Amino acid sequence: MRSGRVIVSVALVGLLIPPPLSAHHGGAIFDTGKKVTLKGTVKEWIYSNPHCLLFLDVTGEDAQVAQWIVEGQAPNVIFPAGYRKDSFKPVDHVTVTVEPVKNGRPMGRILQAVLADGRTLGLAASPPPAAVAAPQP
Amino acid sequence: MPNPMVVLMVGVSVAALSLPVDSNAQNSSPGGWLVPNWERPPVTDVNRKPAPRRNLSGTWGPAGGPGAGTQAGGVQLKPNNGRPENQLPFTPHGLELYRSHKALEGIDAVLPAQDNDPRNRCEPLGVPRYNHYNVRLTQIFQDEYKVVILYHYDNRWRIIWTDGRDLPKLVDGGVEIAGEVRERRFFGYSVGRWVDDYTLEVQTVGTMPEDRVWLDSTGRPISDQARVTETFHRLDYDTLVWSEMIDDPKVYTRPWDTMKLSLRLHDPRTDVMEYYCSPGEQENYNRLFGSSAGGK
Repeated sequence: MRSGRVIVSVALVGLLIPPPLSAHHGGAIFDTGKKVTLKGTVKEWIYSNPHCLLFLDVTGEDAQVAQWIVEGQAPNVIFPAGYRKDSFKPVDHVTVTVEPVKNGRPMGRILQAVLADGRTLGLAASPPPAAVAAPQP
Repeated sequence: MPNPMVVLMVGVSVAALSLPVDSNAQNSSPGGWLVPNWERPPVTDVNRKPAPRRNLSGTWGPAGGPGAGTQAGGVQLKPNNGRPENQLPFTPHGLELYRSHKALEGIDAVLPAQDNDPRNRCEPLGVPRYNHYNVRLTQIFQDEYKVVILYHYDNRWRIIWTDGRDLPKLVDGGVEIAGEVRERRFFGYSVGRWVDDYTLEVQTVGTMPEDRVWLDSTGRPISDQARVTETFHRLDYDTLVWSEMIDDPKVYTRPWDTMKLSLRLHDPRTDVMEYYCSPGEQENYNRLFGSSAGGK
């Protein structure tokens, strides 16, 4: 397996910080504002409700392989951002930026993904609402 | 005497020209399975077309984009973020209910191990919560008797009667229709009337009690004494404004406005993906991710 790298960065409020997503676990489990960039090998991509799951083998600087599980919203929610059933295939080498969970486990939600073919997909959720007020009747 | 063949050809041509032209024709998709187009130019004075009379039919999506109707942080006009202007007029019973609800969203959100949102058991959300839960592509059909709403979330449908029937009388345990007490329903009993040619006002009563349903994803309560008033205002051909007010004296001391959501018309041929709550998939997700990610 090719080695990957884990890059951890802490971001202040930025464009990639997701809005409330109506997740089945709520937003409270994530370390809001923190970003982890994972370079790794795809093990499995489950395109399913209530959330899609990406299993990724990531080799750290210590040569240890850690399995990360990162999620996106439901298929119909992430479809507009370009995520498809075949976006990730086993043994694909991808780079995924995630917001990790607070409890320190190798889990998070996908903020951005660079696919094996080089395409970049954004937040695996609905984009934040545009500033459109309801028209006045 | 005109040539019958020429008459036929002219007739066919006129008929073809008089067929409704789909002005929503948009991005073509391979094989004809049209994907939602969220990038249409805004409605302006230049491209605005008049609203059709007494017609709400169409595939509608939030005008602010696919996530603009999510309302994860609480009902659209009163997000549950702790700000004074968004405090709700709870009755003592309403406040007690709110405190008993352990929600995964909002200012009082808990971790998954503590939550008791009926949604997480794939329970029907009921009216009005379907109006406040991931409003995405909403399909509306109608005939001379009724308007039918196909909600995206959990592929649910709802009927609003527009044939002039009376709104049932709200009584303890349900509603009264022609002297009979009828059961409470997740979608209640909805009756609509056209206020003008472009505005349908809908009243709903007879919904589920407070131990079965919530108002929103932050655990705000709603009871079976609720009277829900919605207006669907067809502002122009491409724009529908969906508003809602709730009057629930059991839970709130006064009526209040929950939503004023602007919807944009999509191509009627748009393929709407499934978006369902499956107990099996939910369990699988919790086993693989949810339980560990949300644990200490």
